[in-house]
This record gives sequence, structure tokens and C-alpha cells, in this order.
Amino acid sequence: MLFSKLFRLLVLGGAIVGSASGCAGPGQAQPAADKKADDRDGGASSDSRSAQTQDADGGTAQTQAADGGSAADGGGGGVLGW
Amino acid sequence: MMDEVRRLAGAAWAFRARVEREASTRFARLADAIPVFDPASPVPDLLRRAAGDEDRHALLCAELAAAYGSPAPASTMDVRIAPRSLGPRDAVLYEVVAACCITETESVATLATLLAEQVEPRVRTVLHEIARDEVVHGQMGWAHLAREAEMRDVSFLSAWVPSMLEGSVDEGILTSGQPAAEPDDLLLHGVLPRTRKREIFIRTLEEVVFPGLERHGVGAAPARAWLADRLAA
Repeated sequence: MLFSKLFRLLVLGGAIVGSASGCAGPGQAQPAADKKADDRDGGASSDSRSAQTQDADGGTAQTQAADGGSAADGGGGGVLGW
Repeated sequence: MMDEVRRLAGAAWAFRARVEREASTRFARLADAIPVFDPASPVPDLLRRAAGDEDRHALLCAELAAAYGSPAPASTMDVRIAPRSLGPRDAVLYEVVAACCITETESVATLATLLAEQVEPRVRTVLHEIARDEVVHGQMGWAHLAREAEMRDVSFLSAWVPSMLEGSVDEGILTSGQPAAEPDDLLLHGVLPRTRKREIFIRTLEEVVFPGLERHGVGAAPARAWLADRLAA
């Protein structure tokens, strides 16, 4: 019960909040043909780029900072919470 | 109060003070980054407000930590967690999803669970104050993801969710085996036993985070595989 309520409150509620000011104008929207290949990888598929980076790091690349926080070492990190 | 309970409760609240302070710094930075590519977004205003909330939460947590005899460290780090291979817009999306869609969502679940339990009045007051704001902090992450998914393909995130998850959970909380014994009355002081924490973490992923990501076009298969691997370890 708690979790279905959280889904509605956060995920569905968040989507409503996101649309509160309307979507970005046409100038910000990317054409569908460009969706898979934006400026992050010079045209390579984003999925393949991510997979390559992860492979190079032997899977999920994440290190913990010395203070126990998370830091990216070229891979990606996460955020510790409660 | 037992010394052990006092020590563990103090350490937990000091850790939370640090987490809240770091969230404040991160939210302020992300608030400045989003208008560059999405000037109509309502999310930057929410992030700025959230940064102020987190400063207030940090003080509340630090006061509780001090009351338990564990002063919270005052320094704050701004750790950028996005992979270096991502461009600026993708890096912002990565960080918002990791910090809000995953971590803030998990925090709301933890707070709601704690508030359903019997806790010390002073602790309950702090939990209430924080829970009220954390709902909005979770929503702003889902709001940003929804906007981005509306405008472009965000499926690249799918492969990165395991990295986000890896960094969002205490080492050892997901591993099987008998957890170390914990004092029974730790919950009174606002600290979930590890078995409850594990259960909340997993169910929040399975019932809120993964379906939420899928709803916006971010496949959750790699994240589900990560979770299955961790639970089998």
C-alpha cells in the first residue's frame, strides 16, 4: 500500500509537476531522428557508448570517495541517502 | 539510554546531516544547469527551494546528532557523480535521476516507514519536518525525467542505473546472511534496523523506482539484474 501510494505521489505527481509550465518549446525539442545521437557522443549510439564505458570498467563503474560519499571515476556514481 | 544506542543513533543522525548538506550543494548546482537547455522548466525553482530545505534539514539532523553526543562534521563536498563520457545535458539528467528519482524516493519511503513507528517525540518532530519537503524533492526528479523523456530519447540511462544504485546503498545491506545484532530500541531514535532498511530499499526499487523509470522510457532490465546479483551475493 505504501509503495503504490509512493508511485502515485512521486512518479505520477512528478510528471504533473514537470508539465506544469508546459513542455519546452519547439526550439528545445530534438527531432526524432536526432534522438538517438545527440552531442554527447558525436553521433555514436548512446547505448553503445554507455556499454563501452561500462565494459572498460568491468561492469558498473563506481567508486566510493574517501569520506564514504560516491564519486565518479569516469564511470558513474550514486548518491547515498537515509 | 544504553551507550550503544546513543552512539549508533548519533552516528546515523550525523551521517544524515552530511547527506542533507551535500544534497543542498548538488541541488543549487543543478538548478543553474537546467535552464541552459530547458528554460521553461519549473524544476530549477524547485531545486533552489530544495537546496534551502536541505540546509534546514542538515541543521535539524546535526542538532539531533549533537544531542546523542555525535557532532556532525561541518564540511561539505560537491561530488559530481555523472560519468565523464556524458555531455552536460545527459550528465544533469544522470545526476537528477540518481539524486532524486532513486535517493530521494528511497528517503521518502524510509521516512514514511519511520513515521509509522513509535519514535521519541523530538525525533518525530524532525522526521515530520523533513518528510514534508522530501516528497517535493522526489517529485522534482521525476518531473525533470518526464520533461526530458518528452523531448528526447533518454534510454541511454538504462545502462547507467546499476552504477547509480551501487552508489546509493550502504555496503553490505543487500548481502544475504544474518545481520549483526542491533539494539532493540534503536528504532525509537529514528534508525531503522538493517533488515527493515533492506526490505524498504528493495521494495521501493521494485514498486516505485523501476516502474517509474520504465514509464519514461528508461529500461529497468539492467537495474533488475543488478539487484538480483546483489541479493544472490
